[in-house]
Amino acid sequence: MILHSTQPIGQTGGLSAETQASASTILLVEDDLVTRAGMAARLRRLGYRVLEAENGLVALDVARRERPDLYIVDWMMPEMDGPTFCESARRDPLLKSSQILLMTAHDRPAQIAEGLARGADDFLSKSASKQEIVARVLAGLRASRLVRELETTGNDLASSLLLLQERQEETEADLQSAAAFVRSLLPPQGSPVHGTSLAWEYQPSLTLGGDLFGVMAVDADHLGLYILDASGHGVAAALRSASLMTFLRVENVIQLLGSYNPQKVLLEANRRFPLSDEGEYFTLWVGQLHLPTGRLSYASAGHSGALLSSAQNSSQWLRCASSPLGFDLSATFANEHISLKPGDRLFLLSDGIYEVSSSSGELWGRERFQAVIDGEKQASLSTTIATCFSKARSWQQASHFSDDAAVVGLELTDGREGRGNG
Amino acid sequence: MQINERTVAQGTILDVVGDLTYANRGIFKAAVEKAKQAGCRHLIVNLEQVRFVDSAGLGLLVLVSQNFKLLQARLSMLKPQRYVLEIMSLANIPKLIPVYEREEDALNMRAA
Repeated sequence: MILHSTQPIGQTGGLSAETQASASTILLVEDDLVTRAGMAARLRRLGYRVLEAENGLVALDVARRERPDLYIVDWMMPEMDGPTFCESARRDPLLKSSQILLMTAHDRPAQIAEGLARGADDFLSKSASKQEIVARVLAGLRASRLVRELETTGNDLASSLLLLQERQEETEADLQSAAAFVRSLLPPQGSPVHGTSLAWEYQPSLTLGGDLFGVMAVDADHLGLYILDASGHGVAAALRSASLMTFLRVENVIQLLGSYNPQKVLLEANRRFPLSDEGEYFTLWVGQLHLPTGRLSYASAGHSGALLSSAQNSSQWLRCASSPLGFDLSATFANEHISLKPGDRLFLLSDGIYEVSSSSGELWGRERFQAVIDGEKQASLSTTIATCFSKARSWQQASHFSDDAAVVGLELTDGREGRGNG
Repeated sequence: MQINERTVAQGTILDVVGDLTYANRGIFKAAVEKAKQAGCRHLIVNLEQVRFVDSAGLGLLVLVSQNFKLLQARLSMLKPQRYVLEIMSLANIPKLIPVYEREEDALNMRAA
């Protein structure tokens, strides 16, 4: 049977203002009816709302339903005694932070130690004076308030964390979607035009990369190529790159300039993409391959990531000193020319593939990259590129690159299949 | 990256130790801003202890150079390591920012 009083009496009996201000609920658990009634009356006179229970089992039910602020629990009771109640409450997620005063007729140290070990917070002697009862109840309620404040704060933090995680997941999903879009702008692997074979591998340092490339037919006889590198990382760099990529679309360039002449493309890009207020800029390499003759015209704005791997000779870098876009509005760019023969391979790459450091801080470097290209002439384009990534990862002893890493390979096949391809 | 600032009669020298990269750009920008606020007319960036400059680092150097020119002040670079000089040369940076091998030459703005 549960006996309880639902309302505090409201008599203060000399209670402090702190206690008067609150109507804290105390659950009194005592099997002896006379003792319980006397203690309950005393607590009610102090202004508390008092719930009563005759043993630990009944008290657990009341506690789960009412969540009292403080428990005063007798040690010796039938069905479930005080220490067992304490243990049960500590195991219950709803009740585990309850403030429990264990009431005893004795105050032997061994008993106190056992009570504390089994989950009590404090002790109250059955023979305690009114002053002591008031003091211990106040202390217990103070602790209860603090615990509940902590719980509230913890719950608030947990809610905030959950909200942050949800936002993070939304942002991540947006970034993945944007990354998929940017990836869809990259050229399809295979054979962009008859007589060529294309393969590439690209690993942005973050979800969205700023180093992008393009290989596309300008007309029946010309193939346009470019690779761009945005300084910096992240969403801002990726957006700027997408903007430059849009500018570099064949239709756009032909409409603006009349041809895909690399020199003219760079001049116009230099005018349109100045150094930002944060010092952000692009480097860009643009090429145009005349398919019938294999003549490659190219120009660079500070980008040095073009390597020609000849079937017969050692590879050579196609680079020349030039200003990145936006560094110097009066800069000029010159076309260079070179002839490609069937079997030759042109690699466009971002510096992120070779500017990787070993554990001792040594850079892998362009020479080692070039050595891989020279050593893989008999392998397929895709295998050669995969080997470059594998060696770079092995050098830095990490699979993730700190900068965007891209390697694009184009092979002149003269209508035949490329070496080892397909 | 660590930057030690030295003020001399002809300007301010920033002795940079470490890599000048995207990750460290905040430290470099703060050091430059401090020199600018102090009214520096000639800022010399000592790159002797800089092993690597990435694209963001290059952009910062050019941006600082452009900003200093607007203020009728100047930026110089001192003793870049071979690889750093190679990277900067490929981007034509020595044409925009003078490079010196000796501190005295930088201070007196004498071409090396």
